[in-house]
Amino acid sequence: MKTPLALLNLTHEKTRLLVAIAGVAFAVLLVFMNLGFLGALAKSASQIYSQFDADVFLLSPQTLEISTNKAFPRERLYQAAGFAGVERTMPIYAGYGQWRNPETRKNRSIFVFGINPDDPVFLDPEFRSPQNLDALRRPDTTLIDRLSRPEFGSQQAGTITELERRRVTVGGQYVLGGGFAADGTLLMSDQNFRRFFDPFPLNLISVGLIKLQPESDPDRVAAALAAALPKDVIVLTKPQIVDRERTYWISTTSIGFIFGLGVTISCIVGVIIVYQILYTDIADHMKQYATLKAMGYRSGFLVQTVIQEAIILAVLGYIPGFIISLGLYELTRSATAGGLPIGMEWERALFVLLLTLSMCILSAVISVRKVVLADPAEVF
Amino acid sequence: MTRIASSTAVQIRQLSYFFGQGDLRKQVLYDIDLDLPRGQIVIMTGPSGSGKTTLLTLIGALRTVQQGSLQVLDQEIVGLSRAALVTVRRNIGFIFQAHNLFESLTASQNVEMAVELLDRWGDKRQKAVQMLSQLGLADRVDYKPSALSGGQKQRVAIARALVNQPALVLADEPTAALDKQSGREVVTLMQELAKSQGKTILMVTHDNRILDVADRIITLVDGRLETDESLAS
Repeated sequence: MKTPLALLNLTHEKTRLLVAIAGVAFAVLLVFMNLGFLGALAKSASQIYSQFDADVFLLSPQTLEISTNKAFPRERLYQAAGFAGVERTMPIYAGYGQWRNPETRKNRSIFVFGINPDDPVFLDPEFRSPQNLDALRRPDTTLIDRLSRPEFGSQQAGTITELERRRVTVGGQYVLGGGFAADGTLLMSDQNFRRFFDPFPLNLISVGLIKLQPESDPDRVAAALAAALPKDVIVLTKPQIVDRERTYWISTTSIGFIFGLGVTISCIVGVIIVYQILYTDIADHMKQYATLKAMGYRSGFLVQTVIQEAIILAVLGYIPGFIISLGLYELTRSATAGGLPIGMEWERALFVLLLTLSMCILSAVISVRKVVLADPAEVF
Repeated sequence: MTRIASSTAVQIRQLSYFFGQGDLRKQVLYDIDLDLPRGQIVIMTGPSGSGKTTLLTLIGALRTVQQGSLQVLDQEIVGLSRAALVTVRRNIGFIFQAHNLFESLTASQNVEMAVELLDRWGDKRQKAVQMLSQLGLADRVDYKPSALSGGQKQRVAIARALVNQPALVLADEPTAALDKQSGREVVTLMQELAKSQGKTILMVTHDNRILDVADRIITLVDGRLETDESLAS
């Protein structure tokens, strides 16, 4: 077996090794957190659509994402209902309202969905529990999202407070999550929605849901609808609307840029830390490396040694970085009460591992120049 | 006079060497002619700056020869590529003033690094231990340099230089960092190994105490060979 020079050189200076591992772990952690937030954002943006029991969606072309929507005529939904393959159409009304925390009496924006209580809008059966259905039909009553931030106050059924400066009673709870757009959500009947957001005409809707018969092909129906309906609506299948929402948040807001920049800067920090460590190590061993060259070792061997050191640092730094990230993901989930679906994905874990390796190898390539140029004659 | 090539380890003809470029160009070696027969222990002395180390690094294929002819172990090294010079160096043992051992490796591992150059993996440990034992370090093979004395470290460095049985050994002030007794020991060991294995040793030194191990003493002054004196042994 070859003498593991890279490993022994690294482990010889314990303090320096620990600092190096901490540095790489820190960079790994920063990358994981940035990618985690970005992933959670993309996921939470699309989360709401995955909970709708619908295959095709109608939106106004002016709707940027679900919370920045422009209402469009409800007739489009009636028109869609006549198409072959369509089983059911359901309107959604959506908008922000001021919710008063019943304890602190502070107002806060909450995102409100209005639906027809008879429509099976959501996949989760909890929405249609007898208690919730009953509450949906009562006037001035709303359901509240369990994933709403605690700042909104009590979620107990029977809590009385104000929404849009109008008395409202909490009738029950559900689980949905507002993602990045909303700290909390409410669900109420279309009649109540009209009351709280007066004057909001019920013939203008925010999102149109279309449920297809089981054997219909969403792409074909969506294409047929798009061809037939006037241009004041766009027709999207579920994957399309999820993608549209993601693109909005990641590409056309500063959010994608911010987290992308975060990843880039974390990588630069990592490269600099590893470069410093490797460079110091090389500088300390300059005489030894020059001696190896004098003995007949080629520059390639020295390059290999430094790259091995870099790979060892990458792996040793990645492991604690990965573990701490898991902990921080958990912390984030509990801090947002599950509202931010941040979690580890194996693609991301692999991506960050490869990123860490290339980061360290890049540092090695920068710092190794010194060894390659080492003149063995200078040792004498 | 014709020579049988294989009886000469180093043959130098009209060798000159310059440092620097253009106006700063300075000649440090002037028309050196020198033959080192195989099996000879040669000590090179001379004042500082006389070009001793430069000559040693040229013979060691660590520098590119600019003018003249230099044959090392029957190979003309003038005009060789860098890669070819590396191959030449593998047949030469180098001993430096500083031991230049890896602090992270044990004595044995430091020596094994040399054996690995020959792509010998199976018996590298055995060879390293054997060499270290010949140098009186049998009980120190698994010590790191930080646990060894100056003389012991230099002996590890000598083991590293000699373990591959090089035909030519170049040493630059190998005793400079050692006290009198360890210096003496180190040189005596080198002498014994050279004699028993028929190696050629070229040693640069200022240390008058060790001159008696030499078969021949050459003196370099201002880049020229001043004296060349064979000692009756």
